[in-house]
Amino acid sequence: MWKWMLLLGAALAVPAAARGADWQADPAASSLEFSGAAEGEAFTGRFKQFTPLIRFDPADLGGSRFEVDIDLASADTQNAERDETLRGSDFFSVARFPRASYLATAFRDLGGGRYAADGTLTLRGIAKPVTLEFIWSAQGEGATLEGKATVQRLDFDVGAGDWADDSTVAHAIGVSTRLTLRAR
Amino acid sequence: MSLRNTDDRWAWPSMTLHWLIAVLILALLAVGWVMVDLPRTPRYFWVYDLHKSIGLTVLALMLLRLGWRLYAGAPRPVPGTGAAQHLAAQAVHVAIYVVALAMPISGWLYDSASGLRALKFFGMVTVPKLVAPDPQLKDLSHGVHEWGAWVLIALIVAHAGAALVHHLVQRDRTLWRMLPASFEQSR
Repeated sequence: MWKWMLLLGAALAVPAAARGADWQADPAASSLEFSGAAEGEAFTGRFKQFTPLIRFDPADLGGSRFEVDIDLASADTQNAERDETLRGSDFFSVARFPRASYLATAFRDLGGGRYAADGTLTLRGIAKPVTLEFIWSAQGEGATLEGKATVQRLDFDVGAGDWADDSTVAHAIGVSTRLTLRAR
Repeated sequence: MSLRNTDDRWAWPSMTLHWLIAVLILALLAVGWVMVDLPRTPRYFWVYDLHKSIGLTVLALMLLRLGWRLYAGAPRPVPGTGAAQHLAAQAVHVAIYVVALAMPISGWLYDSASGLRALKFFGMVTVPKLVAPDPQLKDLSHGVHEWGAWVLIALIVAHAGAALVHHLVQRDRTLWRMLPASFEQSR
């Protein structure tokens, strides 16, 4: 009897997990960008290589999970000298820390299709909480995620030392992402 | 004392602009030479800002000088100057004007198209960017600025070399005319 109930439970659980919501991002239509200011001059950059593993279901926030892997050397700010400085030891130090990661398992419903992911960003070997607020819109087999976060660069020792001053490079770095997703 | 240049010699406004710009351009070449090898950290950004501020000063002075040259004229060649020699001198002068204007403009464009930092003129006033950040225009203006520096060095060597030939070999008044009259009288 117990054996049958277990089998029945498994039969119900497996489709539910599959429906549950693993999403595949379309790299060509997805972006991960950052923006800031250096001595009053605004700049924007993007990571050309990043891999988002997205499991999300508005009806099952507890079972949702974001895991994003970012290739720091792929940062492109439309200026070769700045990109080189960014990859260097004062900033991302890609020789020692080639990748950053973001992991979120706690989600909040902010209403109106808006959600917050309370995750952990690991950058330069330092793990600190970062909240990503995003708008989720699903239509059929597809979905889009548009999110924003603010990262305090000195929390992660990015541009410490000579660059530490807020007027040299603003401490608050805006991060924005747009993911075009397809159900797996 | 005339402000305008005479057939015989340069007057003090032209002389002042000539020597002031000459000193500033030599300073720019020296600072530009050194700064490209400095580590790119905020510790040394003042060197770049100094180069850019002096460069913009030269741009303003060159525009003033061009206007003044058109208004105040220039002395005639010293007696005995051949037509070919005069033509060569004119060509070098025109080329120096063109490059001395093209250098600050290409530098300003390079600064603008790079979009790295706001530029403050001698730390005081924010200088507007000429264009939005543009990697292609950045490379182009940088190329013009770098090659322009070599062309400028060649022109300076030709110009100063010719002045010294006039002074030391032909022993005419060409260089004296660009120096205060009191210098010539007291020799």
